[in-house]
Amino acid sequence: MITRLALSALLVSCLCIGGAYALAFTAGGAPPWAAWALAIGAPAALAAVMLLGAARRGRVAPAVAWAIGLTFGVLVLSFGAALLLPAAEGPGGRLLLGLPLRTAIVLYGVGLVPLLFLPWAYAASFDDATLTEADLERVRRAAGPTP
Amino acid sequence: MTPWPALQAVVAARHPAIVAVAALYFVGVAAIAVWATRRTHNASDYFAAGSGVGIVTLAVAAMASTLSGFAFIGGPGLVYSVGTGAVFIVLSAAVTSTMGAWVLAKRLRLLREARGLFTIPDAIGARFASPAAQGLSAVAILVAIIGYMATNFLALGLVIDALFATGLGPAVWIAMLVTLSYTLTGGMLAGVYTDLFEGLVKTAASVTVFVYVLHTGGGVAAISRAIMAVDATFLGPWGTMSAQAALSLFFVFALGSLGQPHVLHKFYMLRDPRRLKWYPLIMSVAMAMTLLLFVGVGMAVRALVADGRLAPLARPDDATATFVLGFTPSVVAGIVFAGVIAAGMSTVNSFMNIGAAALTHDLPLAFGRRVGDELRWGRRWTLVLSVAAAAVAHASHTLVAFLGIFGYGLFAAALVPSLAIGLNWKGATREAAVASIATGLVLTLGIESCVYFRLLSLPAGVSTSGLSLIVSLLVFFGVSWVTRARAAGQLAEDVAVVMDV
Repeated sequence: MITRLALSALLVSCLCIGGAYALAFTAGGAPPWAAWALAIGAPAALAAVMLLGAARRGRVAPAVAWAIGLTFGVLVLSFGAALLLPAAEGPGGRLLLGLPLRTAIVLYGVGLVPLLFLPWAYAASFDDATLTEADLERVRRAAGPTP
Repeated sequence: MTPWPALQAVVAARHPAIVAVAALYFVGVAAIAVWATRRTHNASDYFAAGSGVGIVTLAVAAMASTLSGFAFIGGPGLVYSVGTGAVFIVLSAAVTSTMGAWVLAKRLRLLREARGLFTIPDAIGARFASPAAQGLSAVAILVAIIGYMATNFLALGLVIDALFATGLGPAVWIAMLVTLSYTLTGGMLAGVYTDLFEGLVKTAASVTVFVYVLHTGGGVAAISRAIMAVDATFLGPWGTMSAQAALSLFFVFALGSLGQPHVLHKFYMLRDPRRLKWYPLIMSVAMAMTLLLFVGVGMAVRALVADGRLAPLARPDDATATFVLGFTPSVVAGIVFAGVIAAGMSTVNSFMNIGAAALTHDLPLAFGRRVGDELRWGRRWTLVLSVAAAAVAHASHTLVAFLGIFGYGLFAAALVPSLAIGLNWKGATREAAVASIATGLVLTLGIESCVYFRLLSLPAGVSTSGLSLIVSLLVFFGVSWVTRARAAGQLAEDVAVVMDV
């Protein structure tokens, strides 16, 4: 179920991004909303691939699902805010943590916020949901021919 | 690319401290090489460090291989020229380490456990029981690495020439010989421990320079205010690029990270697979610290120019050199130049190794043959590849510029579908793997050649890498769907177990 969901999301994301690229080749170039296809499609593709990799026999640990979902949300919200908020990067523009507001949302939101929970979610779920001693033993027992 | 006359003059004036630090760095590399050479006895040691590497070494070495000289020279230069948009190249670093761990780290390390694999094409060949897919992926890797190696030799040559005034031509060969000497003798064992050393040098250089960036610019807010006073777009969320172009960079460099063989093959080297638990955290923190220079220097130099404290740069790539020589003590400048050399050497070393493995191991297997003494042949091919790349760097800077363009994108388009998706989806088929690798290879080379020779121009916001990656992924899905009836019969039992856990 999760695998199918992840594959479907990845395929749709690729079609969105491919569509944005295709529109750029038309006369007049890509419409403004093509950037939204990338702003949603790129985070969706990353979340889908993470979900695909984290799934075990069609299931994902709740903490992992939350972490991946949160990553997708943070990325889309950050990119979306940068697209939606009015430009104010000239003299006297408002700063957030030293950077212009829209830029701060993108750089800190995408570049730093996932660091606060994503690697931790991986570590926290590793022993139960990623690789156990029993898993390792199972792989060793199934060992096939060496290349 | 031409020598840096201005840089040479400035370096010469402060020669002793800078050269001493750089020389100390080379002594450190030589010591590691001697140590590793004594421990390299077979092909597994040579190509995969005998699977005896700890998690901290693995993560820092992976970071060192990921961030080439571009992170210290080209990247800050790009930030100086296009502003925030250039940061989208590295913006996904907070996500990619964990993504790589979930998607590939465990699977690759377990494939080594099950089958003793030691190359990335090995994994593709095992997953699809396909010598053709293994051979084709090896060809894609070889095409990309010659350009990558030549570009890095040229960049290393520029720095060595600036430091030691050897002339650019000899400097390129010195760079090649130093890297070759430890790769040839100590193989990946030397490579991974020099990567660790080089990674620590890079991180130290980046953090130290960032402190000076903040000190010189008066803090992040003061740097921003100085730039915003003269340019309203530079510090916008996309810099001077369009939103689509910046987001496209983010997509390519994020998803493309799952197709970089010089980083991914390090997963084979981990001693205990269960230590992967801490890989994302260590790798993410190391990346974040080492990327401070990438982001900080370009912005600081731009602010200094805006304030009138610095003349506009003749070339954007001079940003790092100009800043460290003008605003940091000589010892710090020496550490940064050692960091630049470290960045180039750690990346080239990995390429030498995977290129030699492709020629010694993957291509013969694709034709149903096996080389008798893989260690000896590995060393011979390492030598041949290194000489070829240095010759290209020495002979034609135009060719280097062309070959250097498509490395990352070619890896991404050719390898991501069959490797990242293929190892996590049992419905993928051998036919789809071959088709997507061929699509990625042909499209990237074809479009990039047409663009380079001005036969084609891509519209704003569309890159060759992004286009090739998307088409390759769609081909992978499409062909897998058409040939779906064959999927189950193409999966070996042990590989299925690896994909299940």
